[in-house]
Amino acid sequence: MYIDFLLATFNNNKNKDAIVWHDTLYSYEWLLNKTQHWLHTLPDLNIKPGKVVMIEADYSPNAIALLLALIEKQCVIVPITESVAHKKQEFIETSQAEFVITLSDSDEFACVQTNTAAKHAYFDALKQLAAPGLILFSSGSTGKSKAAVHDLAKLLEKFKVQRHALRAITFLLYDHIGGVNTLLYTLANAGCVITVSDRTPDTVLSTIDKYQADLLPTSPTFINLILISEAYKRFNLTSLKTVTYGTEPMPESTLLRFTQLFPHIKLLQTYGLSELGILRSKSKSSDSLWMKIGGEGFETRVTDDGILEIKAYSGMLGYLNAPSPYTDDGWFHTGDQVEVSGEYIKVLGRQSEIINVGGQKVYPAEIESVIMQLPWVAEAEVYSERNAILGNIVCAKLRLTAHDDVFDKRAIKAQLKAHCLTSLESFQIPAKLTFSDSEQYSPRFKKMRTL
Amino acid sequence: MKLSKEECLETIYRAIDELNTTREDNEKIVQGNSTALYGPQSPMDSVDLVNLLLSIEETLEDDFDIHFTIANEKAMSLKNSPFRTVETLAAYIFESATE
Repeated sequence: MYIDFLLATFNNNKNKDAIVWHDTLYSYEWLLNKTQHWLHTLPDLNIKPGKVVMIEADYSPNAIALLLALIEKQCVIVPITESVAHKKQEFIETSQAEFVITLSDSDEFACVQTNTAAKHAYFDALKQLAAPGLILFSSGSTGKSKAAVHDLAKLLEKFKVQRHALRAITFLLYDHIGGVNTLLYTLANAGCVITVSDRTPDTVLSTIDKYQADLLPTSPTFINLILISEAYKRFNLTSLKTVTYGTEPMPESTLLRFTQLFPHIKLLQTYGLSELGILRSKSKSSDSLWMKIGGEGFETRVTDDGILEIKAYSGMLGYLNAPSPYTDDGWFHTGDQVEVSGEYIKVLGRQSEIINVGGQKVYPAEIESVIMQLPWVAEAEVYSERNAILGNIVCAKLRLTAHDDVFDKRAIKAQLKAHCLTSLESFQIPAKLTFSDSEQYSPRFKKMRTL
Repeated sequence: MKLSKEECLETIYRAIDELNTTREDNEKIVQGNSTALYGPQSPMDSVDLVNLLLSIEETLEDDFDIHFTIANEKAMSLKNSPFRTVETLAAYIFESATE
């Protein structure tokens, strides 16, 4: 009953392409049959309603059909991808997975029953509602990942409203709230799920070109990689109509360069959290960081100290392994510092990332954006260091574009400072520079805050 | 590596040069023993001072292989601040570096 609306859509679009995977097309008829197949297979594997099932996969056709069947069977689904392979054991333990299904590169499945009997108040709550569940891990850069438990029935609600059928690149991972959102949106509207074999700029852009994708949901870091790799010069991107970005603050410099290069592509900022799902958002314009967020099922408010709080109908029940982050009146404290102008907000960065220099606030993303305007900087990470005089100082780790083995540190520093002075206050300008040749993004194409 | 008093002064002057590259003509910091670094007589604010000290630290590291944080707790708690003038700072660096 939970996926009836999806199966009806599949049935009405049998001949349309549902999935592109490994250069092969899979129709909605194929997906419909495969989903039915899994619905029959799950009982044979002893997978019953309420069971916690981990799926280790990417967006393979089988992984998609299996996900849908597990929803229908009211299981609690724990998607994980190779990017978290080193944490697999921790995730199995935290989620109390009772089954682990792995899909190989050739899309063959293997199912292992663990010796766990999952027990948690949230699992009981889902069983009582006879609702499927979803566990997503927050990709926190420090400490243990937190496991957010969702009522999938609620998350599915918004997909029942018919919207445009899009040919979407599944860039965001299968175990990421944005990835799950792209997948469900695309299938619910009989669009086409276009998978990529890896997430390098050349592969992603060539896939857009070859399969005429019109939507690329991604991150600011990847948009920056598209620009610095110049991959866009090698492929035809005329089919691409919309690029959405979320997950981290967008450097204004990247935004402007992208809109200048691709005036025909609409850039939309999204706002989503593993804990709440993806909010509907509307950017003021393609070159603006201001956006309206909310939509049906979401309410927003901003605390006196500028932190965004959200009340979501589809919000998670809570964390399996951490205290509830909800306020007494049911609002989720995002930890994101925002600026408000009428109906619009602008995300400045995580509250925890703000650098306090002698009592003045510095937002790393803002400084990084200014540094990135320099053509010889490929990536910049701004971080803080304790200082006896100012409390903290702003530091920057730079990766330069092609350079000689020996370069004049002082000359670079002087140029950088002179450039920063044109748009920043002196306390915002990095006082210390370090250089590194390694790339600064995570497997999720999110800027890594390592320092 | 041993550091002479003259080298301490030269290092400070070099840092002043670096700071001056981004200052307006009428705000340049004068190179002189008695130039006030921090306080009411000084054209520098706390951010300038921190930048000056970091630049000095960098030269000490690169040219003399001397590693230390000038603005440390000891410096901050001295009865007479070492950050009053170029001269007091040079004396403080000389003492700290040769300790």
